[in-house]
Amino acid sequence: MKLLKPSWVSHNGKPIFSVDIHPDGTKFATGGQGEDSGKVVIWNMAPVLREEDEKNVNIPKMLCQMDNHLACVNCVRWSNTGLYLASGGDDKLVMVWKRAAFIGPSTVFGSSSKLANVEQWRCVTILRNHTGDVMDVAWSPHDVWLASCSVDNTIVIWNARKFPEIVASLKGHTGLVKGLTWDPVGKYIASQADDHSLKVWRTMDWQQETNITKPFNECGGTTHVLRLSWSPDGQYLVSAHAMNNSGPTAQIIERDGWKTNMDFVGHRKAVTVVKFNPKIFKKKQRNGSSPKPSCPYCCCAVGSKDRSLSVWLTSLKRPLVVIHDLFDKSIMDISWTLNGLGILVCSMDGTVAYLNFSQDELGDPLNEDEKNAIHQNIYGKSLAITTEAQLSTTIIENPEMLKYQQERQRAEQVNHRMTHEAQAHKLTSVVNGESLEDIRKNLLKKQVETRTADGRRRITPLCIAQLDTGVSGATAQASSLNTTAMKSNLLLTTSTKMEPMKALDSRFTERSKVMPGVTISMAGLTPLDRVKDGGTLKELKDETSSDSEDKMVVVKSPSFTKRKALDVEKRKKGRPRKMDAKMMMPVSHQTFQQVRPATPSSEKEPCCVVAIPVAVLKLPTPTPQKAFTLQVSTEPPVYLEVENDVSAVSGAKLSQLRCSREGREWDTLLPSRVITAAGSSDVVAVACEDRMLSVFSACGRRLLPAILLPATMSALHCSGFYVMALTACTECTVSQSLLTQQGVPVIGLSNGKSYCFNSSLETWNLIADKQDSLVQCADFKNCISSQDAPVSQGPLALTQGHNLNAGRLASRLSSTPHHLQHGMTLVFLENQLASALTLRSSTEYHYWLLIYARFLVTEGSDYRLRELCKDLLGPVHKSAGSAWEPTTLVGGLRKRDLLRELLPVIGQNLHFQRLFTEYQDQLELLGNK
Amino acid sequence: MAKVQVLNVAVLDNPSPFGNPFQFEITFECMEDLPEDLEWKIIYVGSAESEEYDQTLDSVLVGPVPAGRHMFVFQADAPNTGLIPESDAVGVTVALITCTYNGQEFIRIGYYVNNEYTDPELRENPPVKPDYTQLQRNILASNPRVTRFHINWDGCSDKMEDSENVDPSPNSSSSSSMVPSSCLAGKALPVGLLSGNSMDCL
Repeated sequence: MKLLKPSWVSHNGKPIFSVDIHPDGTKFATGGQGEDSGKVVIWNMAPVLREEDEKNVNIPKMLCQMDNHLACVNCVRWSNTGLYLASGGDDKLVMVWKRAAFIGPSTVFGSSSKLANVEQWRCVTILRNHTGDVMDVAWSPHDVWLASCSVDNTIVIWNARKFPEIVASLKGHTGLVKGLTWDPVGKYIASQADDHSLKVWRTMDWQQETNITKPFNECGGTTHVLRLSWSPDGQYLVSAHAMNNSGPTAQIIERDGWKTNMDFVGHRKAVTVVKFNPKIFKKKQRNGSSPKPSCPYCCCAVGSKDRSLSVWLTSLKRPLVVIHDLFDKSIMDISWTLNGLGILVCSMDGTVAYLNFSQDELGDPLNEDEKNAIHQNIYGKSLAITTEAQLSTTIIENPEMLKYQQERQRAEQVNHRMTHEAQAHKLTSVVNGESLEDIRKNLLKKQVETRTADGRRRITPLCIAQLDTGVSGATAQASSLNTTAMKSNLLLTTSTKMEPMKALDSRFTERSKVMPGVTISMAGLTPLDRVKDGGTLKELKDETSSDSEDKMVVVKSPSFTKRKALDVEKRKKGRPRKMDAKMMMPVSHQTFQQVRPATPSSEKEPCCVVAIPVAVLKLPTPTPQKAFTLQVSTEPPVYLEVENDVSAVSGAKLSQLRCSREGREWDTLLPSRVITAAGSSDVVAVACEDRMLSVFSACGRRLLPAILLPATMSALHCSGFYVMALTACTECTVSQSLLTQQGVPVIGLSNGKSYCFNSSLETWNLIADKQDSLVQCADFKNCISSQDAPVSQGPLALTQGHNLNAGRLASRLSSTPHHLQHGMTLVFLENQLASALTLRSSTEYHYWLLIYARFLVTEGSDYRLRELCKDLLGPVHKSAGSAWEPTTLVGGLRKRDLLRELLPVIGQNLHFQRLFTEYQDQLELLGNK
Repeated sequence: MAKVQVLNVAVLDNPSPFGNPFQFEITFECMEDLPEDLEWKIIYVGSAESEEYDQTLDSVLVGPVPAGRHMFVFQADAPNTGLIPESDAVGVTVALITCTYNGQEFIRIGYYVNNEYTDPELRENPPVKPDYTQLQRNILASNPRVTRFHINWDGCSDKMEDSENVDPSPNSSSSSSMVPSSCLAGKALPVGLLSGNSMDCL
């Protein structure tokens, strides 16, 4: 082990509260107290690692310093990608920093230090929510969330993809929250506070998973920070300051049951910080000895108020090393290098120490694959598959895949670059037309100056660069300015005016008493308030949106008004299982008929009578009315008018049906009383008391001889050329029935289930079930692409409606084993696919197919994915016996087109590159034919 | 955090005869689009002894200010010599550039200014009544003194900030900004005002 205290890493003697090494290991950040503000400094790692670099004056040591925090910075943390740096401080703020591209070195204007910032880090977001000092910040695995904790007793989870959106605010601690750590698997986040407790929260629903108090009962709130840490294998959580037999310890908490049986003992004062090595190690294998499989172990560094640092291996009972008197004051933070062999420690005394271990001392670090294998063993597949690091080691085997991957990267970069270029373009347009120097020469003449209404001068500034762009020109100019300014040196005759200068000095710092030209008026505030109101309004709208979906359903189909009549006699039977059984009964009770009338286009088609469900369902029958009118279509407006018992010719009663469409009218007579009627823009159907169903064309031509129905009519629906007749004979109330555009009959029952008729099987298929626990547990949110508009229009969505609260329970499933949830999601998605197919809803099929494919790809379900592709591709060579059809749906989705769409999705996971290649080739072959 | 950062101030036409206008080329960067204009001011300190002799040389509104990096030249006439005490005409004094947003000052850039006779004879034996036509103004451009103040940029942040950023002297808001500050009463600022300031000076 080597130990180094780089003296040049300092905040001018002010305390350093936090240190964090960049994931790429080339730099590190420190946070702490500045002169009159908080200070974040980014340092070059190379001079720490190599002596020759430290001596080389051309290698910068400090890369950037940011004085933007108004008060002491308590924590700095790099995101896992290394793109961002988050800092939290006593000014209650969390700032997120990003490196500004294309900006050369610059100094802070007017700052005393002549050291230029080598890298430009710019604050991209300020997160304001805490009402007290921010003590710790932590990025979740994969940088999905950023968590911050504060002395206001809360923890705030920020959406790291959409700052400053707040995902959750975790309340429950009754003391200052001083430390945070994410579970490496991403299921939990743990926090430690001054209230003698350590709490573990679930990331699924942001509720408390457990509250551990016992080891902390004796603790006093005496440490500045309580930085706890989770082991890289996820199995252990180690707390900061805990007590055991009145001795300070770091408590080990097992993930399994949150047991607290072990601790790290030995420090003489409270433990302030614990930090696990990001690597998992295995025993170093000596040459010659047979490689024995040894249990992998973790490594953990513990820092304390007693100014000493201890490093532990979970395979050893005693610490690997203890270093006393490393600092003059308490240790505040620890950071490991990503290779697991180096460690940076910072202290309240304002110094930093670097420790370097050899592999002989720590052991052989497991590579990412092995680490992922451990994760997979314990937690299932999903985490492992999505880690980019692992993918990067996979060799791309074929040019197509390579091309695809490169295109993807390029597209991402282009996106990235576009923004830069657009801005850089603006810069160059300024710079090219005229050099910045030229502009500057004429700036005074050229700048637009106007007078405001009250006669004041108003200058429109010349924009020389958009934000975050190549301001290189401007900065270069800025620095050159400094030098020219230097040249115009002023010979201050110090002999004379020393005293007045002192008097003058105070003038630099006092705020101007010159009254402001602009007064703050309340009016200035109103727009902001308005925005706020808008926000709440929007929320309200969101809340009611689900209701409006309902309304849409009603409005869209005027024929639905009829269902109200059915609803009147709603009787809840609540016997879903029995229902299911009945559904499967043979086609004996023909209580349901679908009639396809002959139309000009399909005159020869035989009338198709489908049948079934519902053994002994008894539906309410409408009682014959003397007369009624209904509008069957709005575009064009079509009205049906029915009058029963019209004229009696020698005692016989007749009924009259009148139809008016765009001013053209027709009427016809029927021998029996009409009990219900329905129509579409193409057909009109009426059902009579004598169980006869008559169907007419739009012009009143009878299309079919009267059809005798097996039972009295309950409901009639028309859509396009399709007519659905629902006859009475049911036990369960039909709460909703409709015909889709494709002529698939769908009924919704009062028990929350919906069925549709599968004409090829002549059976009723379950397509929606409100109580289906599978639906509620499915979690596929991450597979929904933002580009796909959610399908709310199709028949499947209409049937399932807002009852489709897929994933509603998913959040409560944090304790469910991963594979179970995986299975449930899979089943749900497959159900959706099959239902969409049965309903012949091509848009919905397409939508769910993409989600399904994405889910398979991310979860790595090889066999299913392969089968799906195979099915979509079909036989390459046409054979007579093949039942494969090139199109899936009436909507005319071609399977191979679908496959073509799926391939890019498959290509996203390098694990499937062979599958990708295989089908890509075959599609191309077929395309050439 | 301040939404506007001053990146550079270049002093143009320096050194120059006393009667020449002041010219500062100011480069600043704005984090996000500002709904209101920035107000810049040049204040010439007539005498170190008293703020009474401060002169606001000019004040300009600068806007609109979208997010990005901008520059402009702020030119203001030389100070009114009649308002400068004769004893302070020659020697070192201070010129201040201040910027306010919504009436709150967030940055103050100060320069030492040396006024000297160019003629060695006059330098040796300065006339009792200063001869401003012979004076040369030299601004110590290489050594700006920058003070930044924490202000409320949004107009709706938490109350702490609001109380901190009340208009320094309520009775001043009604008077015109062109009036030299010397007419203002009240020497000391409320103590609370300074507590939140962040200073960054030599």
